[in-house]
Amino acid sequence: MRDPVDNGGVGPTFGFLTTVDSPTHGLFGGYLVVDATGRPLEFHCTTPVKVSRAQQILYGATLPGHLHGRQIGASLLAEASMPPVAVLTDSESLLHVRAHTPLPVGLVGLPGAAASQPTIDDAHVSLGGVTVCLPPGAGEAIIGQLEELAGAVDLNEPFARIRAAIEEAQRH
Amino acid sequence: MERGEGGAKGTGGPLAAGVRSLRVAELQLPAVSVLPPWRIPPLPVPRVLRFPLAGAEPGVSTIPLLDIPPAVASYRFPRPTTAAPAPVRPTLAPAPAQPPAEAPSATPATKRPFGTRIAPPGDVVRMEERLWFLLQPDLETLLRSCRLGFPRQPFPFQLEGMAFLLPRHGAVLADEMGLGKSMQAISSIRLLIHSGEGRRVLVVCPKGLVSNWVRELADWAPEIPVAVIEGEPQRRAWQWSLAEVPVRIANYESVVRDRELIAGLNEPFDLVVLDEAQRIKNGSSQTAQAVRAIRRRRSWALTGTPVENSADDLVGLFEFVAPGHLDERMSPRQLGIAAADHVLRRTKDKVLKDLPPRMNRDERIELTPEQRETYRLAEEEGVLRLADMGRAATIRHVFELVLRLKQICNFDTATGESAKLDCLKSDLEEVQASGRKALVFSQWVETLGKLEKELVPFGAIQYHGGMSTTTRDEAIVRFKNDRRHSVLLLSYGAGAVGLNLQFSQYVFLFDRWWNPAIEDQAVNRAHRIGAAGAVTVTRYLAANTIEERIDEVLRKKRDLSELILSQADSGEARTGLTVEELFSLFKLPVPVKAAA
Repeated sequence: MRDPVDNGGVGPTFGFLTTVDSPTHGLFGGYLVVDATGRPLEFHCTTPVKVSRAQQILYGATLPGHLHGRQIGASLLAEASMPPVAVLTDSESLLHVRAHTPLPVGLVGLPGAAASQPTIDDAHVSLGGVTVCLPPGAGEAIIGQLEELAGAVDLNEPFARIRAAIEEAQRH
Repeated sequence: MERGEGGAKGTGGPLAAGVRSLRVAELQLPAVSVLPPWRIPPLPVPRVLRFPLAGAEPGVSTIPLLDIPPAVASYRFPRPTTAAPAPVRPTLAPAPAQPPAEAPSATPATKRPFGTRIAPPGDVVRMEERLWFLLQPDLETLLRSCRLGFPRQPFPFQLEGMAFLLPRHGAVLADEMGLGKSMQAISSIRLLIHSGEGRRVLVVCPKGLVSNWVRELADWAPEIPVAVIEGEPQRRAWQWSLAEVPVRIANYESVVRDRELIAGLNEPFDLVVLDEAQRIKNGSSQTAQAVRAIRRRRSWALTGTPVENSADDLVGLFEFVAPGHLDERMSPRQLGIAAADHVLRRTKDKVLKDLPPRMNRDERIELTPEQRETYRLAEEEGVLRLADMGRAATIRHVFELVLRLKQICNFDTATGESAKLDCLKSDLEEVQASGRKALVFSQWVETLGKLEKELVPFGAIQYHGGMSTTTRDEAIVRFKNDRRHSVLLLSYGAGAVGLNLQFSQYVFLFDRWWNPAIEDQAVNRAHRIGAAGAVTVTRYLAANTIEERIDEVLRKKRDLSELILSQADSGEARTGLTVEELFSLFKLPVPVKAAA
């Protein structure tokens, strides 16, 4: 179990990580850190990454891991100043970021949908009606804090905020 | 053949013995032309094929790897310090972070499957501020986290109204009457107070609506202490200076009377809300000046008729909401565009699909012969008098004639007869028989008095500005709760605004107001949220009288305010009657003096 993190008196914080694929610009990454009531504390977003056809061929099956995990996911997490209890994502590709962070990274399923199981060891937990796949390292304490968050916020909702913010950032 | 051969031989070949050799010239052969040597085509030069030998190097094309991570723009927001959040504009420290430097893209707005989102107002330009709004939880989540309940579940459009008000420093909530503007404002005030952003809030409303606001605040924000500014000057001075009461309610007259006191207050108000804000449409009025002088951080105006008489009304309103934002020289279309981000207007037909229908019924009534004769004499005499006055005739003279004629349409001044009353009695019998309630509007208190006497069997009660606030409140309670009272008689001035009388299914406009917007306000006392069934509106019009002529003019102009609010261009800019129109009611030319 991870040690409690110090967030300057804000209490437990939670990270939400997702990507937005723009046909025009490429792949944007966004990372939102919220407090236990869902209020925003930090937001980070990347410039778009455009992958050429040749790069797709060269990287092959390793592309998602490299692009989502290392290029986007790891870059975003590195910029955050508040270590969260856990990072949640709605994109299976972004789970590759697990290789670059000690934070527990969970996959949020769509409401009512059966969540896919990214690794055989992941545990399925139902939080506020949403299924979340958490890595084996996520202990009861983390799940308990996520349950509290799910009581305040629909765990799928912050991803919509990130997408809206990235759209806004693109417009300016 | 032989010659040829010999010739050939004689030119140089070895000769046999005894044979004489002949020179060519001796043969006298005909001249033969031969091709010049330069005409002979040259032999083709053979191509040399080169075969590369081992050792040549191929070209190299390098495909870049995804090695350089993308740039990251970071935004850090103020840490919430209170338990109850509210999406009001935060104070942000300058942030060095820049948004991704990419070309804009026209991404279509995504459908929001979650709650009511709070969009940044148009005047918020800093990226981190805009993102701060966009990254807030939806309004429902915010309310949940505040643990603030509602006595009744708000309609989705009411939550949208709150999401409109909360982030704005200057806002006009211009919903059609009956959609719950007060409730939306109170719930927004409540969130501001709980977030620590609203410690001093002032609500200014017409005198007759103070008790209504007290009731509504107790209903929708029961935990918020409220003080009503009233009583003697000393008491009012004390009330204005109260520090521990977050919400004060004052009527417009108090604000004008106490303007010095208000100016002397140490702190500005965090929010000033004007109810029935059309009161300040005339920017030069004392009321408008007193209200605009109140020091404040936020200015919200509530009105169902932001454009009551002319486009200038909106300009007057904006001098409170966002001073200098609108200009009287703007066209209606320009006004609409400039005001768009500050004004939210919804109509019942758009947001309340389930609201019972409003049925309009124009009752054209023939005056009794005696009434007709009185009317004819009065009109002839009045028109003759105006014509005799010529250039000296003023708008006031025309007004006086119109009012006199309208009064005769209600009751014959000579005999007391009234065709309208006869008709109303007949209609009310039906209302009473069905156990329903009716509202009757008139512009004259005198008419209401006459009606009360004539409508005793229906338990008619009066409600007008000449009564004290307490008496009026009692009248509403009696009318609502006592089945013996089927009819409430109201003046347009006091009864057209702020009252919730949705338990009434019938509305009678005994005489017509000058402005259809005021009539709409009156009708919407009954036709509003909570109405149990269809509302029938009966408008009495005395046939072939000034009432019909006025109605005709007003009907043509009814939709102007909607035109402005929908940003449509229109050359027409008034909904009331102009000077020209008043004179034309009697087919009189407008004197230069009156026109000026």
